[in-house]
Amino acid sequence: MNITEKKINMNKTIILILALILLFILLPRFISGYYVRIFTAIFMYATIAQGFNLMSGYMGYLPFGNVMFFGIGAYVTAIFMGKGFSFVCALLLAALAAVLTSIILGFPVLRLRGHYFAIATIGMNGAIMSVVQNTTEITGGAMGTTLPIIPRAPGIVYNYFYLAMFTLMVVTTMVMYLVIHSKFGYAVRSIKANEEAANSMGINTTYTKITAWAITALFTSIAGALYGYWMSFIAPEEVFDVMISVNTIVMMLIGGAGTILGPIIGAFIIETVSEFAWSGFMEYHLAALGIATIIIVFFVPRGVIGSLGSMIRNKKMALPKKVGESNG
Amino acid sequence: MDNRVILDIQSVSKHFGALKAVDQVSFWVEQGEIVGLIGPNGAGKTTLTNIVTGDLKKTEGQVFFKGQNISHLQPFQIARIGLTRTYQIVKPLEGMTVEENVLVGSLFGRVDRKNDLNKGRKKTREIMELVGLDKKKDLLVSDITLPDLKRMEFARVLAMDPEVVFLDEVMAGLNPSEVEEASELIKRIREDKRLTIIYIEHIMKAVMGISDRIIVLHHGKKICEGSPKEVCDNPAVIEAYLGKRYAKEMINK
Repeated sequence: MNITEKKINMNKTIILILALILLFILLPRFISGYYVRIFTAIFMYATIAQGFNLMSGYMGYLPFGNVMFFGIGAYVTAIFMGKGFSFVCALLLAALAAVLTSIILGFPVLRLRGHYFAIATIGMNGAIMSVVQNTTEITGGAMGTTLPIIPRAPGIVYNYFYLAMFTLMVVTTMVMYLVIHSKFGYAVRSIKANEEAANSMGINTTYTKITAWAITALFTSIAGALYGYWMSFIAPEEVFDVMISVNTIVMMLIGGAGTILGPIIGAFIIETVSEFAWSGFMEYHLAALGIATIIIVFFVPRGVIGSLGSMIRNKKMALPKKVGESNG
Repeated sequence: MDNRVILDIQSVSKHFGALKAVDQVSFWVEQGEIVGLIGPNGAGKTTLTNIVTGDLKKTEGQVFFKGQNISHLQPFQIARIGLTRTYQIVKPLEGMTVEENVLVGSLFGRVDRKNDLNKGRKKTREIMELVGLDKKKDLLVSDITLPDLKRMEFARVLAMDPEVVFLDEVMAGLNPSEVEEASELIKRIREDKRLTIIYIEHIMKAVMGISDRIIVLHHGKKICEGSPKEVCDNPAVIEAYLGKRYAKEMINK
């Protein structure tokens, strides 16, 4: 009975998700270009937030400098498209560059824990940004660089990027779901729970941490690549801006760190609020973000999804207890 | 070397500055034995365990497991070849349920008996039943008592399918009837799984009742080794650890 019930619930969830996906694919036909751009940004941030979620929500490491992969994704794409490569080729090279960077930097940096790790990644992001700013012949330097513009009507082009970002977000989320529910996922969660115990239980923690960071780097860099092509102009201080990290971390926290849908919900909440409420008083944006973070950490530490989840779990736990008592 | 020897510790030392926490300790353990490791607080029992399982780098000496030198290996590598431990201060995987904790053990642990998720879940269920945790499987580790946490650590270690286990004060915090129960559990599982156990304990009754052989550490040195009775008779052990009256009581029993 229980298993069939579970199956029915599973099927319901899958149908709901497919319906939502279909809705979002068709949505651009019914809304203006302005909203299409807002949604594209939401999908992009949700993708980046998924990366933070794997590293932080599930593994307990907070890579503040993760935006470096976003920047690398955007810049490597710009450089190779400048040399005449197709977008897909440039994107693949960008993803490769980001993954290699995460592996090479991961060996020294992932030995650090807690704040030290967070700060070290910010430092690395700064270092990479400096390199980009100072290699003017290749990157265009501090002035930024352009990417080719797709020779179509802007409305159509924006729809392309809407669909591309949406696909990226869906694929990222699906991959994260599979990763978390695999054996590897248990290794990742064990590291957050107690790294020493994980190690003594036969988990190769170094390998696990680096692989998780590489997965994060992969999706974050693809988001960066799409962003660059979408904007068709990028500058170092924009794509290596640590505020992108801060924003997405807040999204992850609001939605629920360590839940699969949390980052997406968080991205929707923060982007909508910042678009409609904060656009009136931009200078308070950061203060509001900071206050929001403090409030979340104190009052809803598990985010929207996390709090909902534990409410449901408590209800479920209350029932079997009674059954167990009467049986035993 | 006698091929029944599964773990061979050869003059291992650990110095913290001028303090010799473990000083030239050598002993071997045969397959299927339960060896008690006793001594006063600060005698170096846990330090020695940390060295053997790779949690701590030693100052000198060698450790052989099934003839293989494991002195340079990391904890996860040692766990994968079948040598593992519980912790004196429990180290549960916080934020996970009791069942998930044991599942992680069954998914990783010994490499030649690797489990996928399905096999791991099945094995987890068996072990939870064996140690009597099946009714608490869905509770978070933060919601169970210390005796249950110790039981869970033991279950987690069993799920890893090891050949040699260091049990570091698994009885601490248990009341006498729980100690009895846990001793029975350990004996039963030893038979069942053909485990070799190095058993670190302060509760003398438990050690004496369960061990085939006892090793006594004091100030980092091995001061005695022998059967429970021999150890109780040994003047150095009485002086350092047991006290005269207690030793007499033990022998009379």
